Amino acid sequence: MATESEELESLVNRRYEHGFVTDIEMDTLPPGLNEDVIRAISARKNEPEFMLEWRLRAFRMWLEMREPNWAHVHYPPIDFDAISYFAAPKSDADRPKSLDEVDPKLLETYDKLGIPLHERARLAGVAVDAVFDSVSVATTFKEKLSEAGVIFCSFSEAVENHPELVKKYLGSVVPQRDNYYAALNSAVFSDGSFVYVPKGVRCPMELSTYFRINSANTGQFERTLIIADEGSYVSYLEGCTAPMRDENQLHAAVVELVAMKDAEIKYSTVQNWYPGDEEGKGGIYNFVTKRGDCRGANSKISWTQVETGSAITWKYPSCILRGDNSVGEFYSVAVANNFQQADTGTKMIHIGKNTSSTIVSKGISAGKAQNAYRGLVKVMPQAAGARNHTQCDSLLIGKECGAHTFPYMEIKNQGAKIEHEATTSKISADQLFYCRQRGLSEEDAVNMIVNGFCKEVFNELPMEFAVEAQALLNVSLEGAVG
Amino acid sequence: MSKPDKLQSAAEQLGPDGLSDLRSRAAKKFGATGFPTTRMEDWKYTDLSIASDISVAALQDFRTDLPPSYEIPDIDAHWLVISNGSPQVGSFSAIDGVEVSLLSEADVDLQFNLPLSDLNLALLSDGLRLTVDSGVNIDKPIGILFFDDADTESLVSQGRVIIDVSKSASVQVIEFHATRGDARKYANVFVDLNIGDNARVDYARLQARDPSAVQTARLSVAAGRDATLRHFALDTGGKLVRNDLAIDIAQTGANVDFNGLYLADAMQHVDNHTRVDHRVGPAHSNQEYRGIVKGRAVWNGKAVVHEGADGTDAQQANHNLLVAERAEINAKPELEIYAEDVKCSHGTTVGQLDENAVFYLRTRCLDEEQARRLMTHAFAMGVAHRCPIDACTAWVDAHVDAALNALITEDAE
Repeated sequence: MATESEELESLVNRRYEHGFVTDIEMDTLPPGLNEDVIRAISARKNEPEFMLEWRLRAFRMWLEMREPNWAHVHYPPIDFDAISYFAAPKSDADRPKSLDEVDPKLLETYDKLGIPLHERARLAGVAVDAVFDSVSVATTFKEKLSEAGVIFCSFSEAVENHPELVKKYLGSVVPQRDNYYAALNSAVFSDGSFVYVPKGVRCPMELSTYFRINSANTGQFERTLIIADEGSYVSYLEGCTAPMRDENQLHAAVVELVAMKDAEIKYSTVQNWYPGDEEGKGGIYNFVTKRGDCRGANSKISWTQVETGSAITWKYPSCILRGDNSVGEFYSVAVANNFQQADTGTKMIHIGKNTSSTIVSKGISAGKAQNAYRGLVKVMPQAAGARNHTQCDSLLIGKECGAHTFPYMEIKNQGAKIEHEATTSKISADQLFYCRQRGLSEEDAVNMIVNGFCKEVFNELPMEFAVEAQALLNVSLEGAVG
Repeated sequence: MSKPDKLQSAAEQLGPDGLSDLRSRAAKKFGATGFPTTRMEDWKYTDLSIASDISVAALQDFRTDLPPSYEIPDIDAHWLVISNGSPQVGSFSAIDGVEVSLLSEADVDLQFNLPLSDLNLALLSDGLRLTVDSGVNIDKPIGILFFDDADTESLVSQGRVIIDVSKSASVQVIEFHATRGDARKYANVFVDLNIGDNARVDYARLQARDPSAVQTARLSVAAGRDATLRHFALDTGGKLVRNDLAIDIAQTGANVDFNGLYLADAMQHVDNHTRVDHRVGPAHSNQEYRGIVKGRAVWNGKAVVHEGADGTDAQQANHNLLVAERAEINAKPELEIYAEDVKCSHGTTVGQLDENAVFYLRTRCLDEEQARRLMTHAFAMGVAHRCPIDACTAWVDAHVDAALNALITEDAE
């Protein structure tokens, strides 16, 4: 056992691979938040008046709101005045038109992260809208997308080129007042991605954005808006890694999805923000509001997430099933190791008739981590024939970790069929013994069992992501066996 | 006079006796906190404003001289009666192996921990303490009847009972709630059950208050080493009912099994909160609650497995049948786990009768209503049959039958 524990320790103590800082000149606003800061952000982004007004309204709402404290996470109070709310690479004025023009240092960063843009763009056919801190600096495959009529650009570009779409849909799923962090994001969001898929179009490729926090003390406030018009389909991939830092960094993103009649949106996330060191020092605070609105009949929104990073995760990708026969899905693997804390889950709000939702949540806790599933299934009185199946399983690895489930079911329609099941267990000595007597090392055996545990969710990920997700999971958990 | 003052003066009216100081402190404490509100997580779905209204009305003209009034249920047991909040000492007959005393005369340390407990202590005329001797096996169940009778004026009544079961004893306890009269009534009942090492308690809480009554009740259980609890709760009455069951397992080997059935008619709101704290392991807890809901029901089951409680096995199940268009259920099965070697699971379902099964029964010559009635009955009996006290079985069967018939017949109309 002694050698095993040493082996485990060395694996658990493995350092975060993506922890490095790229030295690029930044244009950063001084820390603090007031209306002038918001005006400055808006001005630097050359935004039209309506955006500034929208941001200011959100800021005024935020001032009246209180930080939520109901989640099963603990952290020292955040000093919102110590955060700088805008950071953009200096070269903002003359943005690169193609990858060749991109700062080589940036490309180097992506290489280190294992995201070879050229190769990925050429071989995998994935368009990458890479966000380096706050401003999009490289976008590929635009021509091909525009042939199909798909708009895929940074949020700033969307505000500039498609103000009517932004005006119509921004805040229509996550209103400014929705919650404390959504209000903050609405006031100060720096950039993000914008996707519009026109009627009847099947987006010819998977759309992908890689986020990366780079500048110390800079909050990262992305805003993503995806609109799938009638009969369209789009699959969107979001993934992130972050460099090692000692100070906590706040990340409060908002993602809004709108699926019109017969449309389908598939949103996949691999989240690997810096989780803090073995002592629980540092790490990203990831307070995210993600919500999809199945606005039209027969629409479908599917969330798949693999959450391995962040010191604190506070995230509930949700679906409002407004259209009749609409479908919402949530597949999640949340891993918490060392001192990580995750409070994540989903909300399925059934409003339309014959709506159905599926929730599959797999939580894995190791070290001294706390991992909570929090979910809501709400069936409104008019939602006749609503169906929900929820399965949430927790795996415990280690004696000091915690796994919690807080599922809420609010059912107001007689015809609803709701099923919820949850289990909590550990990897048993028998399972390990069996695998080991078949010649697997303890590490491989654990990986295999954990991968099996998560398989249902990985199956939902696009192939490129599934591979990365499995690798991430192995790195996050290797050796943490009790 | 403001509301806290009224409470204070009512508390004073009940003395002077051994509880006077306690009442005064509790009144002060409740005056500062007041009733729980829906802004609190534990009370999110249950609004106590009606209980508050009744209390305010009852305190306007607080009476300590209400005549005793009760009807003993048709269940063979040693009955102890608490009528309108006052223990009816005259009704008690001696029970071999059990010592019964009044709280005002007993040396007990009552805790201030919850607002409703403070309200209970502030307005408690007196309570009971039962001590079951070690090693005894009581011949028939001990029944505690909480009976409220008010015809014209609003009534607020408090009940408090402490049951200490000494080691290796075996006892059956029936907690029975009933009412009479048309006036608005709010009853607030606290029972503490301490189960000694290796002791066994079978417990049935049967609630059949009238449809206008309001009840908040809490049963707190402390289970000793290798202690066994078999608990069953039935709720058919009340306009607004909130039951809390809190089980604390601080010794190894405890085995607790608690089940419940709630029937909520169109104008009823029935809320069951259960919480089991596994502080050590190995220990086993298992619960199943079922509801047939036409009005509104809440079920919140929570299992907390504390650090080091390895070997815990905690299972929760909750199944709900919605039988009316406007029926509403809010279910929340919670697990909080801080130990590793545990087996925990929960399952919750909300649905309707299986149409295929109804069709099958119809092919066997049952008409639609008979088929539905049969299936609903079977659903209810699945858990009602787990009532651990044989003396109650006939009463439970008949009562559930009648309540279900009322629920379904109205539905058919």
